[in-house]
Amino acid sequence: MSARSEFTLANDYQYNRSGPVRWIVSHLLRYKFFLFGGMFMAVTTNALYSTIPLFTGEAFNAVQRGQTGLPQLISITLILLALLLVQGSIDLSARFSAEVLSKRFTRDAREELYSNLLGKSQTFHNRQQVGDVMARATNDMSQLSDMVSPAFDTIFDSFSSLAVILIFIGFLNLRLLLVPVLYTIMFLIALRYYSRKLSPVSDRMREEFGKTNATLNEAVRGVEVVKATAQEPQEIAKFTTRAGRYRDYYVENGKIQGRYLPTLLLGIALALAFLHGLYLLSQHQINIGDLIAFIGLMTNLRFVTFMSIWSFGLVQLGISGAKRIIALLNEETNLDENEQGHQGKMHGDLIFEHVTFGYSNTPILKDISFHATPGQTIAIVGQTGAGKSSLTKLVNRIYDVQSGSVKIDGIDVRAWNLDALRSQISTIEQDVFLFSRSIAENIAYGLKEQKVDQAMVEQAAHDAQAHEFIQQFPHGYDTEIGERGVTLSGGQRQRLAIARALLTNPCILILDDSTSAIDSATEDEIQHALQRVQQGRTTLMITHRLSQIRWADSILVLQRGEVIAQGTHDELMKSCETYQRIFSHYDPVTPASVVVGQE
Amino acid sequence: MGFIMEGLDAEAYDRTYTDRQLIKRIISYFRPKVGLMLVITILVVLGSCLDTAFPLLIAQSLDALVGTQVLHTALLLVGLILVSAALSWTCNMFRQHFTAIAVGDVVLKLRTDTFASVMERDMSFFDEFSSGKIISRVTSDTDSFATVVTLILNLLSQVLLFLLIAAVLFFRNAHLALLSMTIMPVIILIALGFRSLARRLTRQAQRSLARVNSNVQEVISGITIAKNFRQEQNMFDAFQDINKQSYYVNVRSGFLYNGIFPILVMIANAGTTIVIYFGGLDVLGHTISAGEWFLFVQSIGLLWLPLTSIASFWSQFQLGLAASERVFALLDAEPRIQQTAQHPPTRIEGTIDFQNLFFSYDDKQTVLKNFNLHIKAGETIAFVGHTGAGKSSIGKLIARFYEFQGGQLSIDGQDIRTFDLHAYRRQLGIVPQFPFLFSGTVTDNIRYARPDATDMEIETVARHIGGGDWLDALPEGLQTPVGETGKALSMGQRQIVALARVLLQDPAIIIMDEATASIDPLTEAQIQEGLDVILKDRTAIVIAHRLSTIRHADRIIVIDRGNILEEGRHETLMQQRSHYAELYNTYFRHQSPDYKPGEGFIEMTQLPVEDPLQA
Repeated sequence: MSARSEFTLANDYQYNRSGPVRWIVSHLLRYKFFLFGGMFMAVTTNALYSTIPLFTGEAFNAVQRGQTGLPQLISITLILLALLLVQGSIDLSARFSAEVLSKRFTRDAREELYSNLLGKSQTFHNRQQVGDVMARATNDMSQLSDMVSPAFDTIFDSFSSLAVILIFIGFLNLRLLLVPVLYTIMFLIALRYYSRKLSPVSDRMREEFGKTNATLNEAVRGVEVVKATAQEPQEIAKFTTRAGRYRDYYVENGKIQGRYLPTLLLGIALALAFLHGLYLLSQHQINIGDLIAFIGLMTNLRFVTFMSIWSFGLVQLGISGAKRIIALLNEETNLDENEQGHQGKMHGDLIFEHVTFGYSNTPILKDISFHATPGQTIAIVGQTGAGKSSLTKLVNRIYDVQSGSVKIDGIDVRAWNLDALRSQISTIEQDVFLFSRSIAENIAYGLKEQKVDQAMVEQAAHDAQAHEFIQQFPHGYDTEIGERGVTLSGGQRQRLAIARALLTNPCILILDDSTSAIDSATEDEIQHALQRVQQGRTTLMITHRLSQIRWADSILVLQRGEVIAQGTHDELMKSCETYQRIFSHYDPVTPASVVVGQE
Repeated sequence: MGFIMEGLDAEAYDRTYTDRQLIKRIISYFRPKVGLMLVITILVVLGSCLDTAFPLLIAQSLDALVGTQVLHTALLLVGLILVSAALSWTCNMFRQHFTAIAVGDVVLKLRTDTFASVMERDMSFFDEFSSGKIISRVTSDTDSFATVVTLILNLLSQVLLFLLIAAVLFFRNAHLALLSMTIMPVIILIALGFRSLARRLTRQAQRSLARVNSNVQEVISGITIAKNFRQEQNMFDAFQDINKQSYYVNVRSGFLYNGIFPILVMIANAGTTIVIYFGGLDVLGHTISAGEWFLFVQSIGLLWLPLTSIASFWSQFQLGLAASERVFALLDAEPRIQQTAQHPPTRIEGTIDFQNLFFSYDDKQTVLKNFNLHIKAGETIAFVGHTGAGKSSIGKLIARFYEFQGGQLSIDGQDIRTFDLHAYRRQLGIVPQFPFLFSGTVTDNIRYARPDATDMEIETVARHIGGGDWLDALPEGLQTPVGETGKALSMGQRQIVALARVLLQDPAIIIMDEATASIDPLTEAQIQEGLDVILKDRTAIVIAHRLSTIRHADRIIVIDRGNILEEGRHETLMQQRSHYAELYNTYFRHQSPDYKPGEGFIEMTQLPVEDPLQA
């Protein structure tokens, strides 16, 4: 398997992902002991269980003989009791094996999917609907678990009981096999037909479930907009349509289950078996005891017949779920870890050479070229949608260029080891994402394998001007963020993000409009802190702050994906009209002293 | 073992219901389906009767065989068996069919109800609970509810079957029947003991699963950060711990569920052995016929089958009950926002009055204390102050996203608590700091607040902002898909779309939370020109961090820790040389090109106060 991935685990167990059934089998085969042990015990259980009607038949014969049958009746009773005990314990162990197998399967499959999602490129993640991915990772996963235990468990159990029943009937009298064998053939054909009917409906059911989840996810995450615009009815209508479709497939599924033919076939088989038994009895081929045992065994066919409706339904759902999961696993991703790539200390010499890039066929960036020497600060300005953020994302290979190249220290980023590349570049995003963990953990997020040192975390928080507000929380650095924790303002989030970036000590720093939400007196100090951080680091800065733009070493003016001008503030003020317009719209600030002076 | 149970506490709004309450509640959902349920019940009874027929018929024919050897009677019985099988199958088919419809409809209703109730919750609910967990209640838990309902119907038919068989047995031979029932108390005792244990383990299992799921949700949402910091291994390790916990908890509950069936079967078989032995003695003693004895041996298996299958489905039943408990807890959660009346407001003028208002998000921190403010209709108010001063909270209170704890808030002199919130919010326009877009095109998103708007209107509004320049940067103009949450657009573009959405809505009050934070200066200037016109006849609450926005406000309010320090126009406040002037000098000067970080304020030129554009 040479699938590309940005992240792989050491000693990762390889599963066969060429098809849903093969994938399931390769997972189950990982635990051969539980799989085959469980199977063996299930067969044993059934063999023992089916001896009960035989002993019942014996008992019938015994009581027919009058008082002489008493000792035999007693011994049969004792044998039955012993049998029950042994059979019960083996049954218990078989079920526990199935349970362990089922839960390990989902545990492993979850880990497989999780690490796989981590390894997928940003392009992939942009394409996915979070709600649908969630449905695959959660509900489809539990379908897998249900498929192994109880479904596989029951199927194996019931089919081994079928085999055992047939063998026992054969032992009674080979002629008696006529009806049960015919029934078994018809049963298998009908079951196959049933599964085939069910399969597309199960697929659609899972699919609709995923879509319902996606609709729901969107509504919940955008709830503020929904409320603000009083559009609850619209969202409810959207949701009801989706959920209604799921209901239709659910009903369809129920109808197919209702038309399950084997139960009817079994009724016919029982009648015919009885008739056949009576015939053989009248021909003196068998005795009454045999007939009773035969009918008892035939009655036990009810188990396999009835359980299959439900267990095969679960299997179909499980396979549909597996299909959706491996579809996600097998999605191609266009970046890889590049383990053999260049590693080593980065100096921060950044070159863009005729870079063209787009998310689809329409290019977002066209023929971009510039050079940043180590330690330089480059400000990127331009109208919204000009491609500023996209440009910075090419540096740490969140995306790859379509043509041209991005080079760091003279080496194409695609030739760098991804780990070495990304760990030496830090980004502070516009929309800061924090994890539902403690503040300290969020700040220390970028530290790799190192022991999280409280002093370092606090130093970084100090530098990012976050220490003060963190101290105000009742639990300080251990305060939980998000769910069950505090809600932070935009400015607070950004300061945590800055602290997070500071702690990683990057060589290249990317600031994506990172201070726009900071409104307080701290901005001056943050700017000061950032300036200190920027020293000795190559910085790409997307900003609308005129002061930041003005003091940058070089400014890149972007318009509709093209660099229309590049130079220092003074140069651009002279040469670039667009740049001049940015500054001309600004109301110059007059310090208070001047205002007062004019009174 | 300590770590295993970590983090599996109940949600704050979780509550416990008794089984009876739950089942009563579930049944109440079926009330509209009375007719269908009646038909299903009749089919269940019929099916059960037909199922009982089989052992009876066999026993009858055996007696015939042993007794008078009349093959003729036996043949007739075979015919009867055939007919009963066919009838039973037909009954079952219709039953399944109708059940699917009834359950499908009820689950749909429950889902819609749950979703509607989620949408009715105020914002504090969404702050507290992760979207992943809320979603799992609406979809997965209602799904398990369907399982419960199907199982209740199965249970009903199983209990009926049990009663019928028991009745027949008593009718045939009370002595033997009593004998067969001896193990009944043991089965009931085990089932009851199992029940309470199962409930507890099930809850733990579901919570640990919810934990796994919200972790997955987090990695999907935060994948860019994980990539930027190259933290995949750490993310994975954290996940693995949670996943392991879920494995242990689930295996444990799985053992319990899977263990119960073999144990009950074992006991049932012990019951069969008792009947074989004591019944056999009776046959030997000639108190009963061999056929009758066989009938008992045969039917006792059938007698226990319903009980054991009830037990084996018990796990799903318990899972479902626990799930419906979670769903009902969500439905029943008390909303924190309480409206005293539902008056739909007429066209709002936009006068806003805060009187001695007291507000906090939780019990820990008070945001506003004894807050008083009068906002005139049509006024543009800019709030300035430190992060956490309570600026955004004021906007959120006006939007009635949160409940306040004391004082009064009135709009046009009417208590905000007396409004029909939907009608009220339709006259509010809110532009949040991080705008959220729904997947669809730019047009769809602008139209969102007013689904009846024509394409022409949308075009006009879109062109109104920034002279429509921003549209040229979109690959397909207004028809550009925005992607989930708007991720296909830049943050600035999203803000413009959010602004257009509000403009189309034509609200009486506009609340902007630093709405232009990510828009470049060029576009911002263009927007500002448009905004001036738009804000003219409306009340506008602007939580602004930008100089240009603030200076255009009718009144600037300086706020600190929930208190108003100063208010007035820019020029007046500057002349007071107090808080605002200080804020202005220290806070806003860095927005000037003349400011150099850390090195103070470097003046470029000495300019008068007037707008240079006019100069």
